[in-house]
Amino acid sequence: MQNVYEQVSANKTRSDIVIILFIGFIILAAYAITVAFELDPSVLAIAAIFSIVSAVGSFYFGDKIILSLNGARLADRKEFFDYYTVVENLSLANQSPMPQIYVIDSPAPNAFATGRDPEHAVVCATTGLLQKLNRTELEGVIGHELSHVKNYDIRLMMIVSMLIGSLSILTNMVQRNRFFGSRRRDNDSSINGLLAILGVFLLIFAPLIGKLIQLAISRRREFLADASSVKLTRQPQGLIDALKKISSDPNALSSASTATASLYISNPFKDNKLASLFSTHPPILDRIKALESML
Amino acid sequence: MPILIIAVVVIVLYLVGFYNKVKTLQVHIRASIQEIGNQLKRQAELIPNLVESVKGYLKHEKGIFEDLVSARKSITEAVATNNPEKIDQSQQLISKVLGSLKVIVESNPEIKGAQVTTDLMNELRDTSDKVMYSRRTLIDVTADYNTAITTVPGIWFASIFGFKEEKGLITPLSGEHLEVSAEDVKTPKISLN
Repeated sequence: MQNVYEQVSANKTRSDIVIILFIGFIILAAYAITVAFELDPSVLAIAAIFSIVSAVGSFYFGDKIILSLNGARLADRKEFFDYYTVVENLSLANQSPMPQIYVIDSPAPNAFATGRDPEHAVVCATTGLLQKLNRTELEGVIGHELSHVKNYDIRLMMIVSMLIGSLSILTNMVQRNRFFGSRRRDNDSSINGLLAILGVFLLIFAPLIGKLIQLAISRRREFLADASSVKLTRQPQGLIDALKKISSDPNALSSASTATASLYISNPFKDNKLASLFSTHPPILDRIKALESML
Repeated sequence: MPILIIAVVVIVLYLVGFYNKVKTLQVHIRASIQEIGNQLKRQAELIPNLVESVKGYLKHEKGIFEDLVSARKSITEAVATNNPEKIDQSQQLISKVLGSLKVIVESNPEIKGAQVTTDLMNELRDTSDKVMYSRRTLIDVTADYNTAITTVPGIWFASIFGFKEEKGLITPLSGEHLEVSAEDVKTPKISLN
């Protein structure tokens, strides 16, 4: 098994690879299209600016964007005493700086951590999670999130979900154009040409998105975080009970999207078919089994 | 000749890395001892508040005030010396006071129900957790340190720099709690009158 230093350097390298792949791919695709259809070179410039801004923005502001997309707010110590102090205590044991602490108002029990490094990390839990779990169970979940923080999983997962997000903005734009275009097909044939290009664009992006997801979601990541959580709390039963409660809860988290699903401790969509296609999380039962072997 | 130079460079680089690693661990050890002390101090400062809120019920427990005073004094002294053993001893004093306070709170529904007491008990529980986690950090860091200087190749160089094994917390490996006295072996007699 990798130790934490190897995990950190693997995650940093993978983050760099993802960024380079993303920028390179978009510029290359834009270049191919400019040449093939003799478009204005400004297309290339726009593509370059778009990809670089997305990548840099993801790195520095990804955490803020993810938090605001999920409707998270800062948690204060008085209102969320157990949550706040558990994060404080486990950061002490984790020997990592205290992250910023956020809550999402939702009955679905779930949690995630994000940020570019442990110094700029954020831990976020839903109010449902905080109400349904007792302190020991909460320690298990927070321990899991803090191990994602310490081994830089948060950086990789943040960048990937942000870049998938910006790709999906692109593909949404394309889909909307196609919709409008099909109505005008009869009177405007140049639009059809453009749509063909964008269709090619989409085809190119599909495997890229797949590759990105694959890079981020090694299922081992979750098992590792579970194991590190137990190393922090020394209480496998807490995390086992928490996972059972989380997985048996009927509420789905409405603010989550395919892009951000991989961030959460458990699949936020529950039984959604699209989500299980991407399968961002190993089955909870397997995780519980792994934890029970530590008892 | 070039091989010799490369070998020397490699060894020097290793030594620099080794020295820095061990020194960093030493700093961590000291910091975590400090942290235990800080948390114990915090705990000791919270207790008078709890005492204040249950004052009316303490008539028969005068001893608790004296225990509290001596526990706080010993913590302040222990933190000043930064000696894990002394810190440990003062922690036992604090636990004693806390234990008897808890009994009072638990056995009096009126105090137990009060918001102030609940908040204080939560704070105290949290501080105990913090003490526990900082103790564990000390244990972990000490173990890392001792492993670094007692395994090959570290052990060959540890004496050059004068690195010695750190004791860390003594309680986990030795101490009264591991010794079984004759008292412990006796079957407890319970009488229900």
